[in-house]
Amino acid sequence: MVTYFSNIYRGMVTILIGMSQTWKALFRPAVTLHYPTERWELPTNARGILFNNADDCIGCYKCARACPVNCIYIDTVKALPEEDLGKASMGNPIRQHLIRFDIDMFKCCFCDDCTLVCPTECLYMTDEYENAVFSRDNGIYHFSKYSPEEALALKTREVEQEMQKAKVKEAALAAKKAAAAGGEAPRRERPVGA
Amino acid sequence: MFGNMFKKKRYLFEDEGVMVVDMDQTAGRYYDEAMKKLEIESYQGDEMVVNMGPQHPSTHGVLRLELVLDGEVVKKTTPHIGYLHRNFEKHAENIPYNEVIPFCDRIDYISSMNQGMGYALAVEKLIGLTELPEKVEYMRVLCCELNRIASHLIAIGTFGLDVGAITPFLWAFRDREQILDLLEWLTGARMLYNYIWVGGLAREVPDGWDAKVREFVDYFEPKMTEFNKLLTNNHIFIKRTVDVGVLPEDVAVSYGCTGPVLRGSGVKWDLRKDEPYSYYDKFEFDVPVGEGKFGPLGSVLDRYLVRIEEINQSVRIIRQALDGLQQHKGQDVRSAIPRRIRPADGAEAYVRSETPRGELGYLIRSDGTDVPSRVKARSPCFSNISVIDDISRGGMIADLVIIIGSLDIVLGCIDR
Repeated sequence: MVTYFSNIYRGMVTILIGMSQTWKALFRPAVTLHYPTERWELPTNARGILFNNADDCIGCYKCARACPVNCIYIDTVKALPEEDLGKASMGNPIRQHLIRFDIDMFKCCFCDDCTLVCPTECLYMTDEYENAVFSRDNGIYHFSKYSPEEALALKTREVEQEMQKAKVKEAALAAKKAAAAGGEAPRRERPVGA
Repeated sequence: MFGNMFKKKRYLFEDEGVMVVDMDQTAGRYYDEAMKKLEIESYQGDEMVVNMGPQHPSTHGVLRLELVLDGEVVKKTTPHIGYLHRNFEKHAENIPYNEVIPFCDRIDYISSMNQGMGYALAVEKLIGLTELPEKVEYMRVLCCELNRIASHLIAIGTFGLDVGAITPFLWAFRDREQILDLLEWLTGARMLYNYIWVGGLAREVPDGWDAKVREFVDYFEPKMTEFNKLLTNNHIFIKRTVDVGVLPEDVAVSYGCTGPVLRGSGVKWDLRKDEPYSYYDKFEFDVPVGEGKFGPLGSVLDRYLVRIEEINQSVRIIRQALDGLQQHKGQDVRSAIPRRIRPADGAEAYVRSETPRGELGYLIRSDGTDVPSRVKARSPCFSNISVIDDISRGGMIADLVIIIGSLDIVLGCIDR
């Protein structure tokens, strides 16, 4: 009987104590922001979407190797000795044409491993977080400054160079064999069959 | 062809004992037999089988609970997990040691500093790195304790929501926002930090950060008093939660529960005190244990009170860590990070740490290369959710919701 009434009393008193806290909260300023008209200012090292300044990129592949999910796709073509591509902002000479630098943002886990290994600091994370797109193709960010025709031209040049080198090598090998077969008795370093 | 695949025997645990199902049959027939048995059992009386499906606002994630109900009373609960399985252990076998850390964060995404800490400690034990700068150790403890407060705020806030109180949820999240802002200033991200690296920390601590943490701690302590006045001391709340989900001590220990679930049942076991790692032996704090002041020991209320008290103890640790950090301000947090992590062939290390949900263990085995050969994460929520059948019998569905909330599970931790 006593517990019945003491329960009622305790129930009412504790509810009133709780309501005193919510009453006090009524007169405090609100902590909510009216997004999208008011936005929170992010700190300088905020990890938003990635951005690569392709003019500075030396094509070293360090970011692609550091990425845990392998979302960075890089293709480079070695520059010929007579071409001068300038220097990066940190002083490293640029020796590769960066024909493809794609980051698949849908795979990216925003861990920031790639920016910490970049030697020229051309890859960095901005503070943009409103990056929703309507189609999956728009989720792949292209940072290379070469148009598809230029990229194709450079790539064909590289492939032609490789084929040229391979031909030269083959010709040298064939010439060596011909010289060995058609000339005087071949010098043998060791007897046949040993 | 298929007969050889299913040669193993599996067991289906039942009340009366063990039912052995011979797996020589194909998987389809196994499923049919099991369902037949469950159907026969459920058609006795007024029982029905109801799915508290993976999409449910009260299951704290994608947890599927198969309930056998007699009206509103729960007769049997079978949790089905795996809806959030992301192959953490398989990924970790293919990428280098330091790149596993973003994956570790995503195991328990609410308290992700603690996951990274456990992994970093395990790899450091593997490569034999024992001496770290003091600043790194103090910062690690600070980050872990801040994350513990944030995680417990979610636990008590959503617990209030499960019981039916909506205001404490928003108050808890308002205070959690302050912590997340602090950690965003420190690491750049709000939830998945990738900050505690093997051998140190990823980034330098910004100037003025510790002053802000001190400000936060001074702001936060009166907020906890307010929160207690609103929810914890509320007589109706106490009466609602005091005799629900009672977990006896021996059942908790036999299922392998750890963390507040175990401590709520009266077992005083906290890895920070009993097997101290990092700098935890330098700090003075108590380990709260459920006392059963208002009702049976090991109830849902006891686990809740343990978490409230743990928040207060974490605040104590943070204050002491800030004092310790003050003395070692000038050190470089990245100086001890190894350039190349290549442990010896066949080396193995198992390190356990105390996360807000319980004991997290990492077993790492190496085969001499840059890439681990095996990483096993022993997750606390997996063992904690296994008691749900035992403690929810005889209660109603509403009580089941509170019990899940009190176990404080995170499906990312269960499924990995």
